[in-house]
Amino acid sequence: MLDPADETSGVSAEPEEEAEELEEEEPEEEPEEEEAKAEEPEPKVEKAPPRVRRLDIVGRRNWFFLISLLIIIPGIISMSTRHFLLGIDFAGGTEFTVSFASHPNVTKVEDAVSGMNIDGSVISTGSGGYIIRTPPLSPAAQKTVEDGLEKALGPMQLQQVLEVGGTIATETIEFALLAVVLASVGILLLLAIRFRNVPGGWRAGFQFGGSALAALLHDVFLLTGLFSIMGAVLGLRIGQIDSLFVTAVLTVVGFSVHDTIVVFDRIRENLRVSQRLSFEQVVNLSIMQTAARSIITSFTVVLVLAAILIAGGATLKGFALALLIGIISGTYSSIFNAAPLLVVWRRLQPVR
Amino acid sequence: MQLVLSWPIRLLIIGLLIFSVGVDGAGYVYRAVNKYPLVGNVPNLPPNYFGWPLYIHKGLDLAGGTHIDYQLTNFPAGQSRADVQQRTVDVINKRVNSLGVSEPEIRGAGSQNDRITVDLAGVTADQAQRAIGRITKLVYAKWVPDDKVTGGPQPGYKPQLVGLTGDDIQSATPALDQNGVSWVVNMTFTSHGGDVFSKLTQDNVNACPGDPSLSQSANCAGRHLSIWLDLTQKDIDNWENPDYVGTVSRPWDAPQNATDPTPKFLTDPITQEQITGGQAVISGSFTQATANDLATGINSGSLPVTLLVLDVTQVGSTLGAESVKLSLAAGMLGLTIVVIFMIVYYRLPGFLASLALVFYAGAVFAVFKALPVTLTLAGITGFILSVGMAVDANVLIFERFKEEVRAGRTIPAAVDAAVRRAWPAIRDSNTSTLITCVILGFVGPAQVKGFAIVLGIGVIASLISSIIVTHNLLAIVLASTRFRRPALLGVDRARSS
Repeated sequence: MLDPADETSGVSAEPEEEAEELEEEEPEEEPEEEEAKAEEPEPKVEKAPPRVRRLDIVGRRNWFFLISLLIIIPGIISMSTRHFLLGIDFAGGTEFTVSFASHPNVTKVEDAVSGMNIDGSVISTGSGGYIIRTPPLSPAAQKTVEDGLEKALGPMQLQQVLEVGGTIATETIEFALLAVVLASVGILLLLAIRFRNVPGGWRAGFQFGGSALAALLHDVFLLTGLFSIMGAVLGLRIGQIDSLFVTAVLTVVGFSVHDTIVVFDRIRENLRVSQRLSFEQVVNLSIMQTAARSIITSFTVVLVLAAILIAGGATLKGFALALLIGIISGTYSSIFNAAPLLVVWRRLQPVR
Repeated sequence: MQLVLSWPIRLLIIGLLIFSVGVDGAGYVYRAVNKYPLVGNVPNLPPNYFGWPLYIHKGLDLAGGTHIDYQLTNFPAGQSRADVQQRTVDVINKRVNSLGVSEPEIRGAGSQNDRITVDLAGVTADQAQRAIGRITKLVYAKWVPDDKVTGGPQPGYKPQLVGLTGDDIQSATPALDQNGVSWVVNMTFTSHGGDVFSKLTQDNVNACPGDPSLSQSANCAGRHLSIWLDLTQKDIDNWENPDYVGTVSRPWDAPQNATDPTPKFLTDPITQEQITGGQAVISGSFTQATANDLATGINSGSLPVTLLVLDVTQVGSTLGAESVKLSLAAGMLGLTIVVIFMIVYYRLPGFLASLALVFYAGAVFAVFKALPVTLTLAGITGFILSVGMAVDANVLIFERFKEEVRAGRTIPAAVDAAVRRAWPAIRDSNTSTLITCVILGFVGPAQVKGFAIVLGIGVIASLISSIIVTHNLLAIVLASTRFRRPALLGVDRARSS
């Protein structure tokens, strides 16, 4: 997984050498660095080893765009036609999380619930644990349900009772949308400011910012779309959205941009030092140089999330899965979408 | 980045390290000194660090407890919504006190000041709703003679309801009197209430005229108007029973047994003169706290708004403990995997980065305890993610370091160049995350805010840990040529000079 990127880093030899030449002309060069160079002149760089295999990611960009669209478009269709499977804190209602000492099977619990005329649904969480969801119940009715269950199925431990009206959901979603929009604007501006000193000025800055934003929206749509498919189309419980899912989406927004900025930063640096290469070549080179880091970082986070997904509690599983999808998508989009998109944009709107 | 080898920076880091170890260690010292078990939960342990309570504040999803969102409706016209909300929060606080919850959190929310959220650790939803939702009605009573009465505020007299209730009161606020010396409670009546009150105070004065502070004959029971919460005719019918009166006449916020009658007494001031215009002042030997209590008591019986329950979340303590265990296990597992990976893949730098990571985790937890930050499940995930970001900054530097060595730099020069060149990417990417955190912290829903704060603190600490701590550790270790070996540094080859 890590090898190809590692191998290709030999490619960096050429521009690196030029970097040294150029940097010496820069006035803000730190004096310490000058000293270091004075006493140790850079050795002749060995010729690039032939083992380098260079992946032409930018050249095959349309394939990568296609792959993304193939996942995102069904997701968008699912979102617009089937919407989402709503978690309790969005759907409203009452949810009991209980565990029975007698470890009854699902049918028994379902029988007990339907015997009480409360229109409840039962989900097993393993080892005698069940989640029972009903339309909103008054505290008195809740007590009746609890007593009824205990009477039918023996000693019961009540772990959690959630009771939610519908209003909170709309607000949470509105807040989250507002946050995503504001964060997007903030990130666009940040990148435009940071990248305005590449050749092309502000226009180039906004090209960088816009491409990063597109990759970010890619991740948001991919994640929400997949959850819509899992929850609303396939009916999987893990695909239901709740306020933790909203948190996950917002985290992915932060993380996705991380990867993109690292690639873009390399492009900025390489643009400065290697004017012999075409923009496309610079972008491809920069992707190759940063891919190892992007994959390694995501890999460590993926390991942690996979641990939570496999071993973590039921409440955290959906959250961990959302983060997992989002982070993999974020790494993919920064390597295969954001930078190639920048190339496309440059072609449509040349800055030099 | 002139941060390496500069001693002020290193001293700062050492200082931070000692502080964070101190913060983390203080709890253990306290336990050791007081002979508590070093680990595990000790009930009622007062956590202290030089008198500063320091410990991890657990959110409800970890500690177990009840969360309720209330919607306030029927706001009275002509009063500031923010004021009404604040009075309601005070009243709920007071009511919740009877539950003996540690650190109840009752906050106003909603863009129109029309929400109140309540977080109570270790309380069931049922208990919480009973305590908060208890409808109390303030009533005024005058005193009528009854020879058989032996107890209560006025022996020989029993109260008689006069029809003036909490509905007729607009507000009660504690304040300093005009001289700015003693505390009083200012009351404002509605216009109807003011008229009734004027009539009642006139009757009071007529009962035994004169200036009560000068003449003893002007100080009779008929000159008093008592204020009660929820006093009913049934209570008054029992007034000749001394035990019953004894309990009912205790202050309304006194602790009570479930079987006894509820204490209902608020205050029994003497009327100095007829009060017209609907503005009354209750004076006495109040401190700020007692004046506050009385005002809250009056407000409690005259809440102008209706509390509507929006949603209730009850988390069992076992589920909370389970979540803590699971997330801690996941966090430790993740950290272990990351450390192993870093050491195997990056060798010596990876080991040093892992040391920096330990520093990082200690510093972050110290900040969590000191601020304090309330940790929730989402918050812990934010922390785990920020570990990922801390690793990310290190990976950026190390990958760069390998490149610089391949490009032919000496090892010390490569370290400096790697940090310097990786810095713009680290700076920009973390700035973007911080922007997201700030936005979430301001506009995010309540659950998301805690997450944003944790992630934000984590990002800042990860910047310090990767740029300053790792870099300095590397510089110190690589000062010795013994460590400049390719195998140790995970590079193909290296110039050692």
